[in-house]
Amino acid sequence: MIRLKGRLRSALIIGLQGIRARKLRTLLSIMSLFLGVLAVVVVQAASETARRAALGETELTMGKDGTLQMYVPTEGKALETALDTVKDRPDVVATTDMSAIIGEPKVTPINRGGMPFAAVAEGQGGPRLTRPDGGEFICGPRGCYPIGQKESSLPETPGQAIELRLSAMTGDVRQFKPFRQQSGQWLDFASAASLAPRIVLNKEAAKFFGTYAVPAEMRISGATANMTPQILGVVDDGIGEPRAYVRMDELQNWLPAEQLRQGGTGLQLLMEPHATDVMQILKTRLAASGLEFAQQLRAEPVDSRERVADQLALIRWVFLGMAGLVLLIGVAGILNVGLATVGERVEEFALRRAVGTSRSLLAGIVLAETLLTGLLTAGAAIGTGMLALNYVGRYLGKVHPVLATTEFPWQAGVAGVVAGLIAGLLGGLIPALRAARIPIATVMRA
Amino acid sequence: MIPLVRLSGITKSLQGNQILTGVDLTVHSGEAIAVLGRSGSGKSTLLSLIGLFDRPDGGSYLLGERNITRLPERRAAALRSAEFGFVFQRFFLLKHLTAAQNVAMALVNGQGWLPRRKRRAKVMAALDRVGIAHLAKHRPPRLSGGEQQRVAIARALVREPRMLLADEPTGALDTETGNLVIDVLHEATKEGCGLVLVTHDWEHANRMDRVLRLSEGQLGEAR
Ligand SMILES: Nc1ncnc2c1ncn2[C@@H]1O[C@H](COP(=O)(O)OP(=O)(O)OP(=O)(O)O)[C@@H](O)[C@H]1O
Ligand SMILES: [Mg+2]
Repeated sequence: MIRLKGRLRSALIIGLQGIRARKLRTLLSIMSLFLGVLAVVVVQAASETARRAALGETELTMGKDGTLQMYVPTEGKALETALDTVKDRPDVVATTDMSAIIGEPKVTPINRGGMPFAAVAEGQGGPRLTRPDGGEFICGPRGCYPIGQKESSLPETPGQAIELRLSAMTGDVRQFKPFRQQSGQWLDFASAASLAPRIVLNKEAAKFFGTYAVPAEMRISGATANMTPQILGVVDDGIGEPRAYVRMDELQNWLPAEQLRQGGTGLQLLMEPHATDVMQILKTRLAASGLEFAQQLRAEPVDSRERVADQLALIRWVFLGMAGLVLLIGVAGILNVGLATVGERVEEFALRRAVGTSRSLLAGIVLAETLLTGLLTAGAAIGTGMLALNYVGRYLGKVHPVLATTEFPWQAGVAGVVAGLIAGLLGGLIPALRAARIPIATVMRA
Repeated sequence: MIPLVRLSGITKSLQGNQILTGVDLTVHSGEAIAVLGRSGSGKSTLLSLIGLFDRPDGGSYLLGERNITRLPERRAAALRSAEFGFVFQRFFLLKHLTAAQNVAMALVNGQGWLPRRKRRAKVMAALDRVGIAHLAKHRPPRLSGGEQQRVAIARALVREPRMLLADEPTGALDTETGNLVIDVLHEATKEGCGLVLVTHDWEHANRMDRVLRLSEGQLGEAR
């Protein structure tokens, strides 16, 4: 151990001496390696940044990697039981979605069926379809709707109202889906429930409110009365259709459980990975109340990381392969310099052997020189990469907000160091072996 | 007393040429031996065998009581570092290192590790011993031939070897500087170091304890 440490230190000290003694040679070696290492750093930084951005988007809609999700049907008293079970559990959030209309009473919403803003702005939403019997349909993201057929008592002409999906939640869903706050505030789960439900819009819904003067009156079928919601703010939830978020308890002030069960889509539970006990308790309670589906309930982990990795892995390897090729050209450069200098340094190597340096240490010294050169190159390339990324973040961030928060990914730094070391190893190995084979007796003959 | 080095019947051929045909040599500690011989007679070849740069074809080589005739290279490197000091006609100093770093080279070779402070002390002591401590920070190109050779001798002495091997160390120096270098080498033997000096200079040879001549591949008394 002590011997190995001594040899390592000797190799590093002597290697450093060699580098300092041949500054020009070192500089040329660094230049020949620089582009290759930089390419590796940039590819790694770009793909890692892209991966983080994609992961961020995926997490917005699907939830953070490892989050457990479970669907509970609303049969029987299942809804009440589930809500009661997750009550006071900070590591579990139950959500349910329903359709809601905000705006003038008794008018058809501008975006019937909860169509996105762009579809409405284009005119008639989706494509028109004609049925063989002559009836016409408009198709939006939530399905197709007959035109000219009196399906409800609402008048045909749209009024100042918009339709959206309302998500009611028992706790802060952002611990699982990191929504980005765009303006105003997020729901406050700590305070007492307010009688006027407080809602937060998503970006898509906010577009409607920005364009149309919609009175703040909210209708949900089955509600005891129309409510006057208080809009707290806007979040980016990564969803392309209008949505609003509300506290479950504030909504329940207006909506009896019976209606929640009928109008909602069932209950989605999002749980911290360790919160499996909740699932057990819930199953037991549901089974006890005679619900047969209880045993089939299952929590699925969210695999956002894996999904994103799959999408990007191939592209990353293709680009890394190209960067590796550039790196190889650089390796050929330092190999060339290295082999040339072995010839030049025959006497030095023979002398070192004469004073007791072993063959392996001598090879180590030569390798240490190229490895240190590789590390210096990695340092230069990483520094350049950081500056470049900083620049990109500062200037392109104004155009694409996703790019604004790009910090230098540590993976790119590691990749740069590894690339530098591999290049140093490849470029130094053959010269090192040659140096170790120099016969002392022949050189040191007066 | 056990001799430091005992060679008997050493043979060596290089690329089919029989250079040494049966060399017998005994060196005691503190003993200085001069080896004379025509150019091409094999003096450097002999030194390279004693100094473990190379191995003999036949015969036996004892270092103290240890038979090192067929020593594997790894052990040989350790022995070169611990037991031998070398001085050559060409000084073989590294141009990019200072005098002190050139001397330290014999310490920083993977054979045992000395803390920086101890290393410095040893280097300065060795430079002092050859009288050029004040030139420690100079690089070889700024030193005279005699000074460079003394740096080389300090490098040979810094490990406190038991055996000094000098191959025409004065060959590149004028008479006066040459005498000085021989003085320094001879001084080392007073502290118990063995010395084998290859030289063409009779005067230098005569200052040694014994003078031998290498001819026809064998060593014989020259006086
Ligand atoms: N690597 C080698 N391969 C073949 N022959 C060699 C080799 N090295 C030396 N010789 C030959 O061995 C003989 C002895 O060489 P050596 O260098 O030992 O002589 P020397 O006595 O030191 O001569 P000088 O006084 O000129 O230094 C010479 O004839 C030389 O040509
Ligand atoms: Mg010779």
